[in-house]
Amino acid sequence: MTLLKANKITMQFGGLTAVSDFDLEIKNGEIIALIGPNGAGKTTAFNMITGVYKPTKGSIYLNDSDITGFRPDQITKKGIARTFQNIRLFKDLSVLDNVLIANHLNIKSSILEAALKLPRYKREERKMYEKSMELLKKVGLADLRDEKSSSLPYGKQRRLEIARALATEPKLLLLDEPAAGMNPKETEDLTLFIKQIRDEFDLTIFMIEHHMQVVMGISDRIYVFDYGVTIAQGTPYEIQNNQKVIEAYLGVSEDA
Amino acid sequence: MKNKKNIYTLISIALVILFLLLANSFFDSYQIRILNLCAIYVVLGLSMNLINGFTGLFSLGHAGFMAVGAYTTAILTMPIAAKEANYFMTPLVSPLNNMVWPFLPALIMGGLLSAVAAFIIGAPALRLKGDYLAIATLGFGEIIRILITNAQSLTNGALGLKSIPNTTNIWWSFGIAAATTVIMILLINSSYGRAFKAIREDEIAAENMGINLFKHKMLAFVIGAFFAGIGGGLLGNLLGTVDPNMFKFTLTFNILFVIVLGGMGSITGTIISAFIVTISMEVLRFLDAPINLGFITIPGITGMRMVVYSLLLIIVIIYFRQGLMGTREFSWDSVIALIKKAPFKKGGAK
Repeated sequence: MTLLKANKITMQFGGLTAVSDFDLEIKNGEIIALIGPNGAGKTTAFNMITGVYKPTKGSIYLNDSDITGFRPDQITKKGIARTFQNIRLFKDLSVLDNVLIANHLNIKSSILEAALKLPRYKREERKMYEKSMELLKKVGLADLRDEKSSSLPYGKQRRLEIARALATEPKLLLLDEPAAGMNPKETEDLTLFIKQIRDEFDLTIFMIEHHMQVVMGISDRIYVFDYGVTIAQGTPYEIQNNQKVIEAYLGVSEDA
Repeated sequence: MKNKKNIYTLISIALVILFLLLANSFFDSYQIRILNLCAIYVVLGLSMNLINGFTGLFSLGHAGFMAVGAYTTAILTMPIAAKEANYFMTPLVSPLNNMVWPFLPALIMGGLLSAVAAFIIGAPALRLKGDYLAIATLGFGEIIRILITNAQSLTNGALGLKSIPNTTNIWWSFGIAAATTVIMILLINSSYGRAFKAIREDEIAAENMGINLFKHKMLAFVIGAFFAGIGGGLLGNLLGTVDPNMFKFTLTFNILFVIVLGGMGSITGTIISAFIVTISMEVLRFLDAPINLGFITIPGITGMRMVVYSLLLIIVIIYFRQGLMGTREFSWDSVIALIKKAPFKKGGAK
């Protein structure tokens, strides 16, 4: 069943077309990767899907309902969560607070009920706390819950950012270069971790990644961007043997 | 352990009340007025800290919100005879002219009207960020002041209001300061408070975690303005007179200094620095008078105090940007740790 569908979405910044006519279809439970050289428009595509940018043309559907032009917070409520290329944790706040904040979107109590600690709010708060602690346990950060999030080692910050995204209870998780800056060991852990959360939380994952090990290892299908244009899509095997992809990455040989 | 801390808290509250009782009967009226001002600055500082320190909105419209609260409370509590005496140029509009409210409802009304003003200002202004928001709110604050100057039949214009009942006493000001503190603590530690802090830390991430930026910024802005209005009301009924010139943007900067010195995002810091700033403003008055250093006598220069004050501000901004407390808060644990660490056990590092 199709979870996310993008219909020829295009993003233009003035005269520059960052992404043109991107067609995307993601089915439930898939792990899809988006690759391409630097500046190919991958993050721009993410930003359109998560509502940071409104596509200049085209439309985006989540479970057949049109979400084009929605605000980021509305899209998160609909079930798309994301992480960022350069980690964007709430740096001065604790690990637990970071995850608790991602629970706020479902709050029913008004601010007055919250400030006066009325029963409904207390119930909600307890539920948020339990849910967040459970999540932290699952990602292995429970012991660090009172640490300032910026004091965590890099790999754990990445993990926390994913946990925070998971706390919004997404159906689709967008990971923007989750393995960036990681050493081989961390990369390997991350690959396992992504598979693990996909199964455990019943997720569909769409990620941007440069580490070919990760991409080829876990994705079901891959989209390749070059200068904002989708130059190829298919299984890892197809992509590895695609002439256009090889050219985009390695250049065209002189005598070809 | 938790019991012990509760006892400590109760003892401290009792001590504060005892101190206020003693102060009320032994201090002279000048000293009592300074104490009142301290408490009012706590209310004002906390309200501004919610907007600027916790939610990270660089807003400079505070004097405007205070003006709305001060005028509302003053007009509502002023006796009818005083109203007739004040509005000799243009009479006060009906039904305000023969309406006298008790202090508390008048204060709350002042807060509410100030919140309404914030809502109207916030709708366009909160779409801006950073410096642009600061400039816009600064402008709106001035607009409020200009409106007050010109609404002769409502505010008595540039003449201001005199003989406002001096209802504000130590109990009112400290009672409301305490209530504001409790509400702020509860609010900041709630899920909404966390959302405010998330917006301060990283707007883009907060929005992508499902936080409606505009709604939450507006909430912080309106609640902050509500308490600013109440603080303004307390101030007007403490001084007994209000006029539009009281609410120039320099007043906003005084409060900004309180929260910067105390630490943006610390309730404890704001309370401590409200006292420090208010008292030192008075203590430094000797600088305005001639100073005899023994070998040289500096003639009295009015405004010398403000020069020193500004220098202090510059030093704080350059060297102690975190303020006294940063974003930390008071807790008995840290006090106990401090006592244990410091003077008693000198050989502790064996």
